Amino acid sequence: MSMLEVRNVNKAFGGLQAISDLSFTLGQGEIVSVIGPNGAGKTTVFNLITGVYKPDSGDILYEGHSIKGLTPSTIVNRGVARTFQNLRLFTNLTVLENVLIPQHHSLRSNWLAAVLRTPGYLKQERTMHELALEKLSFFGPRLMSFRLHQPVEVLSYANRRRTEMARAMATGAKLLLLDEPSAGMNPKETREITEIIRRMRDEGGYTILLVEHKMNLVKDISDRVIVLDYGRKLAEGAYHEVVNDPAVIEAYLGKRADKTSAVARAQMADGLTAHAADDEVRP
Amino acid sequence: MSVQADREPVVAAPGYRPHYTTNRVRNALLSLAGVVVVVLFLFLVDGGASIKLKQVVALFAIWGIATVSLNLVNGVTGILSLGHHGFMLVGGYTTGLLILPAATRDNLAASARSNLSPFAIGLSVENMLRGLGLDALTTPETLWVRFLIALFIGGLVAAVFGVIVGFPSLRLRGDYLAIVTFAFGEAIRLLASTPMMSSFTNGALGFAGVPSDFGKSVWWTFGLLALTVFVMARLKFSSYGRVLMGIREDEIASEAMGVKTAYHKVLAFAISAFFAGVAGGLWVSWVGTARLDLFLFFLTFYFLVAISVGGTGSITGVLIGTALVVWVRQYGDALENSYPLSTWAVAGGIVLVVVGLIAYWLRRTRRTRPVIGPAVYVPVVLGVGLALVGLFGGSIPLLQDSWQGFGMRAITLSLLLIAIMILRPSGVMGRREFSWAWLFRERIDEPTEEEKRQDAWLSNAAAGADAKDDDELEVKP
Repeated sequence: MSMLEVRNVNKAFGGLQAISDLSFTLGQGEIVSVIGPNGAGKTTVFNLITGVYKPDSGDILYEGHSIKGLTPSTIVNRGVARTFQNLRLFTNLTVLENVLIPQHHSLRSNWLAAVLRTPGYLKQERTMHELALEKLSFFGPRLMSFRLHQPVEVLSYANRRRTEMARAMATGAKLLLLDEPSAGMNPKETREITEIIRRMRDEGGYTILLVEHKMNLVKDISDRVIVLDYGRKLAEGAYHEVVNDPAVIEAYLGKRADKTSAVARAQMADGLTAHAADDEVRP
Repeated sequence: MSVQADREPVVAAPGYRPHYTTNRVRNALLSLAGVVVVVLFLFLVDGGASIKLKQVVALFAIWGIATVSLNLVNGVTGILSLGHHGFMLVGGYTTGLLILPAATRDNLAASARSNLSPFAIGLSVENMLRGLGLDALTTPETLWVRFLIALFIGGLVAAVFGVIVGFPSLRLRGDYLAIVTFAFGEAIRLLASTPMMSSFTNGALGFAGVPSDFGKSVWWTFGLLALTVFVMARLKFSSYGRVLMGIREDEIASEAMGVKTAYHKVLAFAISAFFAGVAGGLWVSWVGTARLDLFLFFLTFYFLVAISVGGTGSITGVLIGTALVVWVRQYGDALENSYPLSTWAVAGGIVLVVVGLIAYWLRRTRRTRPVIGPAVYVPVVLGVGLALVGLFGGSIPLLQDSWQGFGMRAITLSLLLIAIMILRPSGVMGRREFSWAWLFRERIDEPTEEEKRQDAWLSNAAAGADAKDDDELEVKP
């Protein structure tokens, strides 16, 4: 059974069709990348899955149950967590607090028990701390010890990205949606984060859907790649198949007038990629 | 008194550094000493000759309860609520009505001017306890039990209103929500004056005769303030408090992290309103009368001033702010008296010199050049001149005229506010809480030498030979 299934989802903002008839599935333990030019609708896909937007039509199934139309917090509790493209950390709170907040929904004590510090509450608090440290230790000693108590606003950009990933893991979700996890990182750090994402799958057992612009990372890590352009799926498959797909090359680089591929011509005929004509590189 | 006593439990995990440092015994002893000092102070105030001081100290505690509870919504959760006086009114009237002595109730029942319905007059904790057969608790000696019950019920009724007001907060954000809460606070007061509600509130007349034994007792008010601070501090440093602060920092991210923001915002409103109701009950007791003009918007305004002066979200900070506001409000009446103009000239001169010195200090610390610019010497020269004229211009007839300082109290408060906003924009305490570790500058977020080396190594390893890492904080080994 697939873990996540997106079925014929459509989403329009006013006259702009942001996502049209998008379908894909995600198997347990897969790492799938969504790539595409700017404005292709990658982040919109994330927002649709996590409940920030409601699809106009179509359905989204998580572990066989529809999560369409649920509130973001309910979807997180079902097991889908995300990171944000432009970091949304709790900047004035410490690293540790940032990783504790997503565990709050698993707390069984009410506020009065929390105020009275009942043994039951303290036990859960201890468990929350241990889980937080476990998730933070994915990133080695970087976020440990003294960093635990530093407010996020003093962290470097790369460390903030790491904190955000730890925070998403701490929700207890099994499916993680990572929106550009390596943005703002240098090549070495990008390689490190690639390794960490792989470890998150292998050791943490997470299924990962990620949006990324750095092709090295996508190439190294993805089981499959989904290419979006103007809200529709252009191609899907292994990295090497996809990048050699003429339609994908065209979407990224524009079309060469004399070497138009059969696929691209067919799509042109359908009027699907009419926009590509605007980008056409004239000889 | 340390507010953040037990912030979190001990966790035995590698890489974990607990919040508290080694000096736990010292901190406990200092906290104990702090409590002893406060109790001693209260003892002196209580036994002292000055009745006014006693009342001011009690008022500080009452307003402290209100400010600390408003801080939960405004400071911790980050929702600008302007309807706090409404919750206080609800709690105050409920408590007042429930605790009215039997004689007063009989008078009200007989009075032709009273609009109170017989049902409302019958509503009292005394009658309730009689109904339950607890006659032992209806004696004059056990008034304190009845007062506590009345306070609790008042708080609960206010909390119900808190839930009602909390609901718009699910749909509205920021300024729009502030307007709704403001409208609510005003609507409550106007509603209480309508003929419809007069059977409970006695309209514009209100009702006198509420026992003052508790509102003016420093022990009662400080005891309840301590309880409020205890609950608020424990709440703030619990998982619930973290979530509320998360909502303040980023509501969308909170929602995306599985937090039921709607529930937690309404919860914050309800808890805050409960303690506002308690403060309202105490205040009605302090005044001795339940009147509508006790609960004007100005009340909320004072609390907001206290919060921004003390530090948004900081419990210890808002208590400092409350102390300042209460002090200026209660002891500022000397400023409104009539003095000769020469005295005013000297006072104005001193204020101007202080302004100049603050400007000098600011320009020095901020390395503005030249340090002594017009912003420094103009007020100093003017101030010295004014003070000299006041001191030695005794023969000038104009200066002998006396002038009454109407509104000088409000002006002083405004000047203080401006000064604090310039010097410390985030308030006296900022977002920090007072703790002994903070006082002794024991930082838990600073690396040891070993950790510094490791951090530098990590940064260099990440940067590699070709790429210069400008993200990481560079620490030279």
